Amino acid sequence: MTGPLYMFGVFGHATSLLVAVAIGFLFGFVLERAGFGDARNLTNIFYFRDMRVLRVMFSAVVTAMVGLIALSWVGLFDYSMLLNYTLLPTYLWPQLVGGILFGIGFVVGGYCPGTAMVSVASGRLDALVFLGGMIAGIWGFALGFPVWGWFYKSSNLGRLTLWQAFGLNMELTAAIIVVMALAAFYLAGLGEKWAPYDRVATGERYDGGSSHDVSRGIPLCKPN
Amino acid sequence: MKTMEYAEGFWNPYVAGVALGLVLLLTFYLMGTGLGASGAVARTSAVLAHTVAPASVEQNGYFKEFYGGAKRHPLVSWMVFEVIGVFFGGLVAVLTARRFRPLVARGPGASIGLRLGLALLGGAIAGIGTRFAMGCTSGQALSGGATMAVGSWVFMMAVFGAAFIAAYFVRRQWS
Repeated sequence: MTGPLYMFGVFGHATSLLVAVAIGFLFGFVLERAGFGDARNLTNIFYFRDMRVLRVMFSAVVTAMVGLIALSWVGLFDYSMLLNYTLLPTYLWPQLVGGILFGIGFVVGGYCPGTAMVSVASGRLDALVFLGGMIAGIWGFALGFPVWGWFYKSSNLGRLTLWQAFGLNMELTAAIIVVMALAAFYLAGLGEKWAPYDRVATGERYDGGSSHDVSRGIPLCKPN
Repeated sequence: MKTMEYAEGFWNPYVAGVALGLVLLLTFYLMGTGLGASGAVARTSAVLAHTVAPASVEQNGYFKEFYGGAKRHPLVSWMVFEVIGVFFGGLVAVLTARRFRPLVARGPGASIGLRLGLALLGGAIAGIGTRFAMGCTSGQALSGGATMAVGSWVFMMAVFGAAFIAAYFVRRQWS
């Protein structure tokens, strides 16, 4: 049957809410098994300790991206529904500014919204506090809306894909993203070897037990 | 690599990533839209404010999009139900793996007070960010990324660029 099923009226709103719970269950289960139920596993990427966030995210994006194209090739998914009705519209400047704020909030707070839910379920008190902070932050956003409401809806480029923006075709753009992902996976491994924040602090990395060999360790920060 | 007991016992990240991608693909096949999370927090935020000041919430330039003329309660939304599922999926995963631990996740040198203070502050900043960006790592980075939406890729690059820089200034809480 050709998807998206809900948009073709295969099931109604009430069923869609049951689908939502089931999909959410799978989503939460996988996030936990990926290790995303703890802020340390989520923020270690930013210290080049463990790049699992990059590996999981980028392989998920590539899997779904290639999967959607493959499903549309075999006639199981109508890609035009996505392009015409549900693709997230681009608001260039708000999304850039929002992304910068979100990135700061991510490493300061330790979570993003979905992983915070999984972490609350894992017993992480800081994740509950993070969600409380989010709720308060959104109150602030709503209170200040008269001031920045104009910006929130500015630079609307509509439903625009990368391949449309760059004048390429869809499959070529997807192939470029796959190559980017493979390059990112390779660089992630190099980043973990580099580990700029842990050169001295870990001790192990510094002399590895053979006390006089300091050639591999460049003291960049003081030991704790 | 130094020992990190909290990082042990999980799926290989590429296996987890493909599994996550398949869940996302299934979502698109069934619904035509992707996953999300921050929208549910925004609706919760609106509903909590509504219990205190219903009139000003319904007239608020932002919150009114959850109330304005809609017959359904703001919490009767696909994403709210999905996020409830996320909680239970996470709970079943953590219990069956026997790793439910009530604790405050922080670096070995950080105090609980520092960590909880920064969790609150970071949550507030991230919350505001999700509203300007109209989504978070789930809705924009994952779902928009997989459909190659321009704004979602701009968001994703901005998130990681800003986080790698900001990481330096909060290294004490994670080291």
